[in-house]
Amino acid sequence: MSTNAGWNLDQLKSLLSARSGVRAWVLSQEHTLRRERYFLMDREAFALDQDRETRSEALQLRLMVNLPGKPDRQGEIVKKLTRKLPLGPQLESAYQAALQTDHQAWDLPKTITQELPVLKTADPRVAEDMERVVSDLTDRIRKSVLKKRKTQFNSSELFVSMHNRELHLSNGLTNRSSQSRVYVEAAYSMSRTLPNGKTESDEYLSTQWTVSLDDLPVEKLFDETSDRAEHSLDVRKPLSGRYPVIVDAEVAATILGTALSQFSGVNLYQGLPAMKPGESLIPEAKGDLLTMTLDPELDFGADTAGISDQGVAQKALKVVDKNQVQATLVDAQYAQYLKQSPTTVRGNLVVEPGTMSFDEMKKSAPQVLEILQFSSIFPDPNSGTFSSEIRLARLHDNVRGTVEYIKGGSLSGSLAENLQSARFSKNRVKRSQFGSDFGPSGGAGYFGPDYLLLSDVSVVG
Amino acid sequence: MTASKTLRAPFRSDLNPLREFLPNLIPILESQPGWYGSLYYERKSVKNHMANLKQTNLSDSLSEGIVLRIYDGYTLFEQASDELDSRALERLATSFAERVAKTVPPEGATRRVYAPPSWTERLKATLDPEIRDQIPAGASARTPVHFGIRYLEGPHALGDAEVFARLKVLMDRVKARAVHAGLTEADLTFLMTRQYFGEEEAIFIDRESNLSQTLYRTALLLMAMSGPHRVYERPGGLGGLEIAHYPDEEIDRMLSELASLRNAERLEPGKYRVLLGPVITGILAHEAFGHAQEADTCVRGRSKAWELQKSGELVGNEHATILNNPAIFQNADQPYAAWGSYFFDEEGWLAGEQVLLEKGRLREPMTNLTSAIRLEIPRTANGKRESWSHGVYTRQTNTYFSAGTETLDQLMKKIDHGFLATAAAGGMEDPKGMGIQVGIAYLQEVKAGKLTGRVFRGPAGGDVQLTGYVPDVLNSIVAKSKIDFTDPGADRSKHPVNDAGGCGKYHKEYVVAGCGGPYLLLDQATLG
Repeated sequence: MSTNAGWNLDQLKSLLSARSGVRAWVLSQEHTLRRERYFLMDREAFALDQDRETRSEALQLRLMVNLPGKPDRQGEIVKKLTRKLPLGPQLESAYQAALQTDHQAWDLPKTITQELPVLKTADPRVAEDMERVVSDLTDRIRKSVLKKRKTQFNSSELFVSMHNRELHLSNGLTNRSSQSRVYVEAAYSMSRTLPNGKTESDEYLSTQWTVSLDDLPVEKLFDETSDRAEHSLDVRKPLSGRYPVIVDAEVAATILGTALSQFSGVNLYQGLPAMKPGESLIPEAKGDLLTMTLDPELDFGADTAGISDQGVAQKALKVVDKNQVQATLVDAQYAQYLKQSPTTVRGNLVVEPGTMSFDEMKKSAPQVLEILQFSSIFPDPNSGTFSSEIRLARLHDNVRGTVEYIKGGSLSGSLAENLQSARFSKNRVKRSQFGSDFGPSGGAGYFGPDYLLLSDVSVVG
Repeated sequence: MTASKTLRAPFRSDLNPLREFLPNLIPILESQPGWYGSLYYERKSVKNHMANLKQTNLSDSLSEGIVLRIYDGYTLFEQASDELDSRALERLATSFAERVAKTVPPEGATRRVYAPPSWTERLKATLDPEIRDQIPAGASARTPVHFGIRYLEGPHALGDAEVFARLKVLMDRVKARAVHAGLTEADLTFLMTRQYFGEEEAIFIDRESNLSQTLYRTALLLMAMSGPHRVYERPGGLGGLEIAHYPDEEIDRMLSELASLRNAERLEPGKYRVLLGPVITGILAHEAFGHAQEADTCVRGRSKAWELQKSGELVGNEHATILNNPAIFQNADQPYAAWGSYFFDEEGWLAGEQVLLEKGRLREPMTNLTSAIRLEIPRTANGKRESWSHGVYTRQTNTYFSAGTETLDQLMKKIDHGFLATAAAGGMEDPKGMGIQVGIAYLQEVKAGKLTGRVFRGPAGGDVQLTGYVPDVLNSIVAKSKIDFTDPGADRSKHPVNDAGGCGKYHKEYVVAGCGGPYLLLDQATLG
């Protein structure tokens, strides 16, 4: 019968410290409590399709070992440990496996960061009473669903989770952090019967992640989703050509976030496409000049963190200033490889606002295409390009004074070309995104312009 | 292969005590009349060996947990935990049952009680011999039935040092063969090889069944870059180390495409004749009437396919036949099972082939437990989850078009001017709106039935997107290849090749999925 093998974190640390040949180690432990609910309509009734609760623990060891006869090299393994098995054999197998790998040697920071700022990473309401939060959000979702609309409610999902994490390094550093995560999605559809008796229908799906409940306007999310679904049938395909294109904060976060990988020291060391300080992010930029900061201290950001996994204190770092790259992002390991000081590597992408209002953007050219939703935007971090099918858009024709809804076709762009004359809106919003990875770096946060106006973007209908 | 020589992944004996204990929880999970209780245990261990030009890396992970389930006729409740001590599990099951008992049923909702099938009922289905042969005669509710994946080369036979040595040899072969593609070693700015091996063990128990399965999942990734240009291949499937091989001709083809990409031109957006390779064909099938035929999407009112199936409307031409099949235990002519295969799904339903679309006409969708109950249609083995810590949805396994009758050469000759598309770059579903997005990393130009050597990327220098209205796309299929597409004779393989892919449910819940099929020739495809 699988059971707890009866060892604890202190015993693990003692064994690691006593093992000869071990060079350094990083231990992370994360406890997760997660609640999920899936809602749908059961004929006319608002119904709960699934209700689940998950409790889990993840314990991960990054073990660095000396390689005999190779003073400038080291071995490394990342191993997930389980308390259900005895500790000794797990550590020994990790040690032996690490001996088979080969890395340039590096050391954890010798100086331990003593005082870290107190950061807002978890909503206290989620931390203290998750059941109540789930119940309250369920109630708000139910009320939104029961609101009379021209559209049909299809489904909604609600996820609420707390992640409590401990980080222990062999240099003596210990750090504890917590993060709350909330996810809500809403899907509405619109249908109508055509003269030939057939029914046509389409839907709109909205999703939103957040850390703080205050950043989650449930009612607005449902209203906006229904409103967009209502227009989903009054659409035509776009005419092929090149357009000024407005994208929202989520798309902005995706395509600007893609650029970050090219500032990474990992790319520089590994021979992957990389940009160095002093280079222009956008060649011959003549629009709003981009200024971006990696901010690990943003209140309730998806990647708000006081310290990196290698024990480097994280502070706001300007990565692009008026289109000029300012930094190569390196944690302790790659800083030593590249012979520079470690920098911030975690943090939320904070983008300086521009001067235009959304209305001014819409009127900035004879025709402006406003993307309401891409099907799925795929950015390529190596080439800085991005493309997607258009799920729903509005074409603002400022000559004819019309607004038409667009669906279908695809858009292709590149950072280098379509941000050359880009303009940023003056209003800023916060966005969070969490991937499936439950790890601490699974989040991507954004605080920046709510809209970007791209120029001369290729669209095919 | 004779039965006596067949090697199969065993049920590990350390799990025996847990398996013997778990049936004791079913009465707790069925403590109220009309409840259906079940449980699903999962243990996944994964080893990733990676080598690139600068370093070698190793990650070794283990994830283990159990899902206790109560379906009360209205809602599927799940309690998931990684605490597997018997007393703790008993406490958890008891408190879980109490929580469910206190839940007020949704006002106005219909109660639909479920009874699981007995072995007698299960054995009435058409089962693949790989499944049927592993079920003991006279199996009953308490019989532990184990399914093990077949393999040739033991995945545990090589130590870490030997795996790294093989990866380095592969990298050396790539470097040595660069010259054949007109590249120098210095042109290869980034090179990476990675061997993935996962051992996936599962136990499913309800009042009628006690099932287990062990799958070995092996893949070998090879990626080469020259500046921002990238090519990669990842052969993978269920089996042992027989999967982790890479022939010279594949390396040469990849390097040749990398060399061409360095001089890639930009595509003029428009409508073209395009021949899709198996992986991209698979994405088309998966996004077109794969996702739209997931019954939980239909239950939620989010799929047009449900209405179109009821009306019997044609949504494609005679070539438009799409299947989903988790029971592909021989992937085309390879000696291993397809990536998206298994013996039973995560709700204990045995795998089987299903036709989703037949010559343009929709059939019944794939289901998981609750969607089958709500729609009152047969269950299929498509209840899957990202891991034990995530919720269950209706998901695809191996999705592909049925094979045609022509060889690849014959299809190429049908192109006066157009493209060959073999490098995939993702895709996205639109089950309600019937739009589709199929990403293509680059296109190879074809003129008069021959490759010209010119390569095209998207209008902005990135991926090309194939888009359109699904019925229009499926009506534009001109022809399909055979499974054994280089051989003019009759197909010897039973199923088309399915590549190692992944799948999200809209924008989350990532699972493995096989993706493949025959070559497919489309006319007037919108590319941009």
